[in-house]
Amino acid sequence: MAWFDEYDHRGPIRVEGGLRARSKRGSIGSTWWSRRFIDILERVCDKGRLTRGRAYARQGQVLSIDLAAGEVRAAVQGSRPEPYDVVIRIEAFGERRWAELEEAVAAQAVHRARLLAGEMPPEIEELFAAAGADLFPRDLDMNCSCPDWGFPCKHLSAVLYLLAEAFDDDPFLVLAWRGRTREQLLGSLAADEGHGLPEVVDVPFAERLADFYAPGATAHPPERRPAASPALLLRVFPPPGDLGDVLAPAYERLGDGPAAP
Amino acid sequence: MLVVHGVWAEDGLAFWAEHAEGGGPAARAGRGAGPRPHPFAAPAAAVAAALGLDQPGERTLELLLPGSAGEPSPSPETGRLAGTTRPRLRPWRVPVVVPPAATALRLLAGRPETATLRHWAAVADLARDLVRRGRVLPQLALEADGARAVWRPVVNGADGVHFRELALAMPPACRTAGVERPSAGVLRAALETFADALVRQALTEPLVTRPATPRDRWLAALTGPDPSCPDVPELRAELGAWHDAATAAEGAARVCFRLMEPTGDPTGDPTGDGEDAWRVELALQAADDPSLYVPATTLWAGERAPGLPPAPERELLTGLGRAVRLYPELERALRVPEPAELALDTAGAFGFLRQAAPLLQAAGFGVQLPRWAGRARLGLRLTTRTKTQTAAVSQGFGMRELVDFRVDLAVGDETISEEELAELARLKVPLVRVRGQWVELDDRQLKAALRAVEGARAGEAAAGEILELVARHDGELPLLEVDADGALGDLLSGQAERRLRPIATPPGLDAVLRPYQERGLAWLSFLSELGLGGVLADDMGLGKTVTTLALLVHESREREGPGAPTLLVCPMSLIGNWQREAARFAPGLRVYVHHGAARDAALVRDADLVITTYGTAHRDLESLKEHEWRRVVCDEAQAIKNSGTLQARAVRAIPAATRLALTGTPVENHLAELWSIMEFANPGLLGPRSRFRTRFQEPIEARQDEEAAHALRRATGPFILRRLKTDRSVISDLPEKMEVKEWCPLTAEQASLYQAVVDDMLAKIDDSEGIERRGLVLATMAKLKQVCNHPAHLLKDGSRLAGRSGKLARLEQLGEEILAEGEKALLFTQYAEFGGLLQPYLERRLERPVLLLHGGLPKKTRDRLVDRFQNDPEPMLFVLSLKAAGVGLNLTAASHVVHVDRWWNPAVEDQATDRAFRIGQRKNVQVRKLICAGTLEERVDEMIERKKALAERVVGAGEEWLTDLSTGELREVFRLTGNAAEGG
Repeated sequence: MAWFDEYDHRGPIRVEGGLRARSKRGSIGSTWWSRRFIDILERVCDKGRLTRGRAYARQGQVLSIDLAAGEVRAAVQGSRPEPYDVVIRIEAFGERRWAELEEAVAAQAVHRARLLAGEMPPEIEELFAAAGADLFPRDLDMNCSCPDWGFPCKHLSAVLYLLAEAFDDDPFLVLAWRGRTREQLLGSLAADEGHGLPEVVDVPFAERLADFYAPGATAHPPERRPAASPALLLRVFPPPGDLGDVLAPAYERLGDGPAAP
Repeated sequence: MLVVHGVWAEDGLAFWAEHAEGGGPAARAGRGAGPRPHPFAAPAAAVAAALGLDQPGERTLELLLPGSAGEPSPSPETGRLAGTTRPRLRPWRVPVVVPPAATALRLLAGRPETATLRHWAAVADLARDLVRRGRVLPQLALEADGARAVWRPVVNGADGVHFRELALAMPPACRTAGVERPSAGVLRAALETFADALVRQALTEPLVTRPATPRDRWLAALTGPDPSCPDVPELRAELGAWHDAATAAEGAARVCFRLMEPTGDPTGDPTGDGEDAWRVELALQAADDPSLYVPATTLWAGERAPGLPPAPERELLTGLGRAVRLYPELERALRVPEPAELALDTAGAFGFLRQAAPLLQAAGFGVQLPRWAGRARLGLRLTTRTKTQTAAVSQGFGMRELVDFRVDLAVGDETISEEELAELARLKVPLVRVRGQWVELDDRQLKAALRAVEGARAGEAAAGEILELVARHDGELPLLEVDADGALGDLLSGQAERRLRPIATPPGLDAVLRPYQERGLAWLSFLSELGLGGVLADDMGLGKTVTTLALLVHESREREGPGAPTLLVCPMSLIGNWQREAARFAPGLRVYVHHGAARDAALVRDADLVITTYGTAHRDLESLKEHEWRRVVCDEAQAIKNSGTLQARAVRAIPAATRLALTGTPVENHLAELWSIMEFANPGLLGPRSRFRTRFQEPIEARQDEEAAHALRRATGPFILRRLKTDRSVISDLPEKMEVKEWCPLTAEQASLYQAVVDDMLAKIDDSEGIERRGLVLATMAKLKQVCNHPAHLLKDGSRLAGRSGKLARLEQLGEEILAEGEKALLFTQYAEFGGLLQPYLERRLERPVLLLHGGLPKKTRDRLVDRFQNDPEPMLFVLSLKAAGVGLNLTAASHVVHVDRWWNPAVEDQATDRAFRIGQRKNVQVRKLICAGTLEERVDEMIERKKALAERVVGAGEEWLTDLSTGELREVFRLTGNAAEGG
């Protein structure tokens, strides 16, 4: 045990540019699906270890995370010069099962609609269960190359913590872990075309020398839209993480009058 | 005087200024390498002082400006014309002031004087509107000097369309710092800067207290003056993706929801089967073309429409995924693989109407509701019957006459009985079908209705009381319909003009009334016999003056012996016009102009028509009140649009048997003005100002409340007659081209300048002969015409324009009316430099585009201006120098032509006028010639009229024929006569 303590006291090697945890205290799990993942974590490992993992993640000790079908691989900088390898495995569904699941997802447009709008439809879990599959694993097969005997070690905990955060932001990652990427799942619907402000072709200055100070066209102000709460944009496009709680009251102050009922 | 412009610098809006007179103190030194200093640019300290800034951020920018090698061309607002006809772009060093964004926004909030600053004010308006609607997202920006917390606007949908228009409209001078900058880039930067500053103004409280983490420090930097914060790359990426997602929504297409009524048997009882089957159709709608509407069913069938994105199902599903957050019930519709509609029961349909629809609409989704939504409701219906049979024409009918009345409950167009109402209340459903028509029933109204039927509501009342009841009705239940017969019915229907027997041109009127004028005369006469005031608001050019004169002539014939006179109040600039029109059309009327230092109220007694100005009416209020007036008429009644002004109060205070307001602007669009004008015409009828505001103005202006608009139309309809040139009943009576002359007064300054020129030149002409004499005569005429245009035109001193020329004042009025009617006009002047003065002045005063075409413009620019005038739907004015307009221009979009000064050669004037009459021209065109009363303009005009044949024979290129006049004749022509000048 002596060598272990020695390492522990020496502390990990500091890392520049690691993946840092974003959230302030206890703020992961703002969506139901990442909440569900955390429930699993709390079942398999005790709270204290997760907390340490979060602190570790905050320091930026996790160097990389790669998520593929059935497997998450990460590199975590500990107190040894060589980073530790972390692997977290779950069962990736086979093709037959996915074909079944895809059919079930397609049967109700609400699933695709919610996924496209950036959230995991709550019913999808039942839908998986009905097909005899679990969306979230009951167990995690976890491994770390560190010499720590505790389980899960802080390296694993840090990666789990970051994973939960990532799920918050992108529900498709949960499905990708199970073996289907966003592109595979949505097919042609997934393609993302560039949007942006409209193109404007200017008349060159050379042709505007005689009316250099004059407007080139008439700009018609749009009709005032019906008054509504200025926080509407936040409801339609929920902000990342838990920003919504902080921002919503501020948005209410942007309107020029009381919000319409 | 400084002319201040705005140009976008890297980091904010830079203000700079030219000396209007040219030749400012800036040194012409600096022959060395690099750009030279702008010779007419004001020092930064002077710019800051002009803007009222204490601590300016002063610096020097290089601006690309067109001009000669020696100097940049002056901007139009300086009133000077470019010295070179072949300008080139060169960089010039210009001192600028770059205030903080919040200060810049404050400076733009007034009415900026120049086109560049007006453009920035429009950009600031868009930023303000975006912030007000919460269309901004907090972001983390990483720049060379560190990370910043910023608020970035989310611009898409209708805002994106406006963004594009603003970019296209941006004057080159707004984006000329250093290099030719793309307008969209400059606009985006400016919007971001403005929006960020506006949010920081609105958020006075910090978002976090005691920030510890980097994220909290970013949150803290989102408020307050210092935006710097540590960079958090993950957060920055997440926020960026968030902003992208919000911007990408409402890209090319948006999801649209259309509520469809049950298609079941419309006569069935409300509880029957099938009556409950409402649907919301899901569809996709093109953002830039709402008429491109494709139902989801069509999309799922694989059909594609040009104008929609290539993968419309994706847009549809993504939009539905967002909409379901606002309208959870929508999820039921999405339980199928290819959703196309949401089925609703009646309660659900009501919920959609009342709650979901406004929310979805505000979030940018399309919502289409049935036509009756928000309209057909429970209300009252008023029926009145005259007690004795009276003819439609008003004989014997007065406002005190008693009529029978009855008030019933009604739903839409249908009267319902008390039993039916009880049945509806029992059903307890908010949407019911009454005799085939869907009606929204809210609980509050239902209770009010049940209360209303308890008291018997029938009896008899005076016609005047009914009129007031209709105008002021203000209960919980709207007054849906009024059914009245007889004269009261004619009046309340607002159709009196069409129902009354027209009054033919009265003997004594030296004109022939057109049919619509005969109807107008009958209407005026009908109202005044009832002792009611009216507002004659016909389109300009339809002859409000002659109709009013016809009314006076008609009445004087009906009456035995002389009656009380009519007092006509008008702006100063129209006095001469009324005087001349009265003399021409109604020579039998005794007219007295109560105006000027020599006015004498005692002369009122012997007149039929007394003409005075708003100013004099106010000054002489006490003596005018002493007289008995048959009628007070307010011409250009926009002058009393602010009810609190001295002149508005003065005209209201003069007691009269009846009142008449004349106005050419569409009063119904400006509700505050409408109240003030109605308060003059029929005092008290619309109730006090504050009640009018809460009952009509606010609901209509803020919420586009149809019901309030309808009630207002019904309340005011009987008293307002407004016919448009384009009405079918009018247009057939109009000639294709109407020519009128308008007489304008001189200001005192113009009159004394005019006299000085005459005195000086006549002496010289007397001493000269031959070519020299001809030259002197032509020069004198030119100078006098310039005085008539404007003192600044003669003096060429760049002095201010407002309030110094009667002609300019009239031109402003005309421009305002033409633009208010949504039309376009050509303004011709023979002096390019006067055109150069008019263009920026009118553009600023009228807040609409004013284009300028003169001979010095390259062909490409001319073509672009002509193209804009012809194709831009915006009402606008086009100032043209007479010579430049001579050839090859097709300006048929104009429906008005104004000759600001005269070229005394009918052939040349007609040629210019004909620009507006080319092949394909179908609408009527009004041609106006402005003439300064009492000056050579009036005299030469009379000579042309007298000797039209002669004038047509001497069609040369110009006005040389005038030089053949003898000195005595010239003295007569030049002489200043009559009360031409505005008196004290």
